[in-house]
Amino acid sequence: MVEGAVLIEITKMWFRYPGGNWVFEDVDVVFRRNETTIVAGPNGSGKTTLLKIAGLIYRPTRGRVVVNGANPWSSASRLLEARRKIVYVHEKPILFRGTVYDNIAYGLRVRGISREDIGRAVERIASELSIEDILWRDSRSLSSGQAQLVALARALVLDPQMILLDEPLAHLDREKKKLFMKYLDKISLAGIGIVIATHDTYITRRIADRIVLVENRKLVETTSTELLG
Amino acid sequence: MTSSEILDVSIRSLYVAGTATLLASSWSLVLAFLLASKPRLRPIASILESLVGIPTVLVGLLLYMLLSREGPLGVLELLYTPQAIILGEAILVTPLITSVAYRVIKGSIETYGELALTLGASRLQVIATVLLESIHGVVASIIMGFSRAIGELGVALLVGGGIKGYTRTLTTAIALEVSRGRFEEAIYMGLVLVVIVASISVVARILWLREQY
Repeated sequence: MVEGAVLIEITKMWFRYPGGNWVFEDVDVVFRRNETTIVAGPNGSGKTTLLKIAGLIYRPTRGRVVVNGANPWSSASRLLEARRKIVYVHEKPILFRGTVYDNIAYGLRVRGISREDIGRAVERIASELSIEDILWRDSRSLSSGQAQLVALARALVLDPQMILLDEPLAHLDREKKKLFMKYLDKISLAGIGIVIATHDTYITRRIADRIVLVENRKLVETTSTELLG
Repeated sequence: MTSSEILDVSIRSLYVAGTATLLASSWSLVLAFLLASKPRLRPIASILESLVGIPTVLVGLLLYMLLSREGPLGVLELLYTPQAIILGEAILVTPLITSVAYRVIKGSIETYGELALTLGASRLQVIATVLLESIHGVVASIIMGFSRAIGELGVALLVGGGIKGYTRTLTTAIALEVSRGRFEEAIYMGLVLVVIVASISVVARILWLREQY
């Protein structure tokens, strides 16, 4: 596989929550476009934290995060610009009040996209993820699997350069998992970088270009054979 | 006491408590948002939470001392006016509105604030989203404040004086009728007060439940 361009570069990164112990110590990692990276590791090892640092939600305590060659934390406008290229999807789907449509449209609305274009984009993604029949349902009436798909649709409709998925298959049934994996293949081919924090061996075997193991506050590159045996 | 007098004190009670609640909300909601969004300020939230149950008569007494002729704010000549009751009730309900709104907004920031950021919202858009997502809880906090304001006696009696046709509210009128031995009128006005407070509590509970689910 030809290596894609580096989108997110994390250098000499240290991180701890206020008053807590170090979660990461002197970590270097890059995430590229055209690449699917699996972040593996035991519960509580810091997989979600790493995704949130890469997604520019958390700022490292020390070290640098560079997106497209620039430091996003240097100004509010740069941070917003960089955040709009990367989307993080929570493990437990959180939906806003309102309909499924409102939820999927949220990120497009905050970008000031026209109502017509939003309508077209929402319908396209809903059709691709087979959720068009629930578009006008109240978001709080959905099952956890449906909510997970809506959260994914809400992220994917933004056509990000990179998508960070935290245990994306956790609430999906077998059929929806297959559909979702197919869609991941499609966006991967379209050049979107994918980073997935997961325990799921199926997803790891199936789509990982690269595996990063979080271990003892460090990151270790590994292979699916080494990881899964 | 005639029906028109009861109507008069009921309307005045609604006006005084409503204005006090709006006044308190204007600063309490801003304060709640600041406390929720700035972790360094959270000790202030604990202090406010401990003041939620402050005795109304104590607030009335402190305000009386401030507004009396010899007091530092005596020059304003507010003592025994509806404005004095409004001010006192606004101070009284500030900890309640701020504490409840703080809890709601804090939860909303943690859940929806981060989500909005991940979807590319600007700082102002994040604030708007957080407020929109917590609207039911915020309205419930305002209604709780109104409920406490309309049912309090200490402030209305001490700084309002219960002057007929001017500062007499439902609670001061009830106290007056009891002191005169007119229990029937007192009970009648008590029922009016109960109906108002109960209706408000039901609305607050519905809104609060909607916030939770």
